[in-house]
Amino acid sequence: MNRRVSLAEALSTYAILLAIGVAVLAPFLLMISVSLASDSTTVKMTFTLLPREFEFNNYARAFNSPTIDLGRHILNSLFIVAGSIIGQVLVSSFVAYGFARFNAPGKNVLFLILLGTMMIPGAVTLIPQFALYRSLGWLGTYAPLIVPNFFGGAFNIFLIRQFITRLPAELDEAAKMDGVGPIGIFWHIIFPLIRPITVAVAILTFQFNWSWFLEPLIYLQDAEKMPLAVAVRTMSATTSAGATPMWNLVMVASMLLTLPMLIVFFFGQKYVFEANISGGSAAIK
Amino acid sequence: MAAAPDESLPLAHETKALRRGRGKFLSARRRESIWFYIIISPWLIGLLLLLAGPMLYSIYLSFTDWNLFDAPSWIGLDNYIRLFTRDRTFGYALTNTFVYTFLYVPLNMVLSLAIAYLLNKSLPGMRIFRTAIYLPYVVPVVATTMVFRWVFAPESGLLNSFLALFGIDGPAWLLNPGWVKIALVIMSLWGVGSSVVFLLAGMQGIPVELYEAASIDGATEHHRFFRITLPMLSPVIFFNMIMNIIASLQTFTQVYILNLDPNTPSNAIIMIIPYLFDNAFRFNKMGYASAIAWVLFIIIFAFTLLVIRSSSAWVFYESEMKR
Repeated sequence: MNRRVSLAEALSTYAILLAIGVAVLAPFLLMISVSLASDSTTVKMTFTLLPREFEFNNYARAFNSPTIDLGRHILNSLFIVAGSIIGQVLVSSFVAYGFARFNAPGKNVLFLILLGTMMIPGAVTLIPQFALYRSLGWLGTYAPLIVPNFFGGAFNIFLIRQFITRLPAELDEAAKMDGVGPIGIFWHIIFPLIRPITVAVAILTFQFNWSWFLEPLIYLQDAEKMPLAVAVRTMSATTSAGATPMWNLVMVASMLLTLPMLIVFFFGQKYVFEANISGGSAAIK
Repeated sequence: MAAAPDESLPLAHETKALRRGRGKFLSARRRESIWFYIIISPWLIGLLLLLAGPMLYSIYLSFTDWNLFDAPSWIGLDNYIRLFTRDRTFGYALTNTFVYTFLYVPLNMVLSLAIAYLLNKSLPGMRIFRTAIYLPYVVPVVATTMVFRWVFAPESGLLNSFLALFGIDGPAWLLNPGWVKIALVIMSLWGVGSSVVFLLAGMQGIPVELYEAASIDGATEHHRFFRITLPMLSPVIFFNMIMNIIASLQTFTQVYILNLDPNTPSNAIIMIIPYLFDNAFRFNKMGYASAIAWVLFIIIFAFTLLVIRSSSAWVFYESEMKR
């Protein structure tokens, strides 16, 4: 809409956006403020939006807490995230390559099934999958959280397929003439060319798994194996009815949970916006 | 049937031609098919093992009583009958989920449209606002829930301190059965940025000529928005709406966390998935929880179908213009 905007309109637009911006950023500020509050403020629960105290020591204390090993939980999260990314990026791109470049009877039906599976709520498979992993002896291990990624993810396959279909087919043809097999073509030609979309898939996989809560909670069982997201919840739990949790340290952990998401977002937003919007608009049309 | 032998016994010269030409072509096609199935096999195996198989098993489980340790025992429709006749908490879970969804989805739609409309003006600095408004969406729900406890704290909380500036005595949001769902809606609206980003992309895709033509015809800003922007955006609004409905009906983390606090008004906040979780993983009632899962599946399916069926009345696709 390349319409000229009058001064009055510009000022009122900025005023409204500024109000919304302040409302949006206030909870972030509150998170920082609480994470820097002293223990006495925490006990009295007299937190303020703008930090009045700057107990940076809280960040060190959170790591040396006798009850919770934050470092361990961060490593747990990173382990789940790394395994999931490797699985999703490799397998989803490989399957997407099949859907984009090969014809076979039943392919269209399978593609429709792929799209349909995105609509199925995870709740429907939660209990039977739990039973399956239990009978495999996987409870208490990271396998139920990581292994399924090595079967690819429907949305990721769909996103990458859209990307591959836009690559010129001559590239494959030329390699085929040179006697390169289908797997060689994927590995040497397609995979390097789809970098932008695999980066987007890696970022989306990071975001999903870093914040993941429900499945780790039921599969890992041991408190010390839990990812950071679950550990933050555990820290906020009261052990007895009258006791108050150390909210300043809980908020330190919440900050540590949030910061990597913000950092990945800032560096990856270009890829993710493009992928999301092309995926979203493809879903619309 | 009578024609079959004739086809399977082609004349000699035809067979030769087949071997040389079409025969080779066919085998190339068959090779391609085999490669297709080899390449997609990881997904196909996952589909059978982790989705189709479990779904069938889950239907079976929903007709059984199963405590995870003994063998499941068949009880027919008992689980479903109990859910709808004797289980009060499930009634609360259904009501709360619906109230939350019906409040959140329309508010999200109106708010995201308003924000996208403002951000789409050609003014400097809009990128910064866009990024700021998107940020809450990337915050993990666990962290959001931790902070919003202090946003909603009864006396010293951020929201009530703000309301006090206008002389309003705010409620004890998370502790008050009448307000706790509104609090959840506000918390979710904090993440409105993801809908805004889709709408903005849609707005930027509207051809400028439409607005130019309208201006020549003397259309007001009001007309431009309601006659051009809104209809052209309807596919994006539709997409956002379906995604938001599906996500809202499956709300879990924030409800689960808040519900662990003994001060939370449990009956006013419990939703379908948290209740499913309690039954499955706290009470070991796996059959009962499976029945809840299928009720949720049918609800989601029905809502999605309803929105899709209604869409022909209000969603406008550009390709329709060509007809």
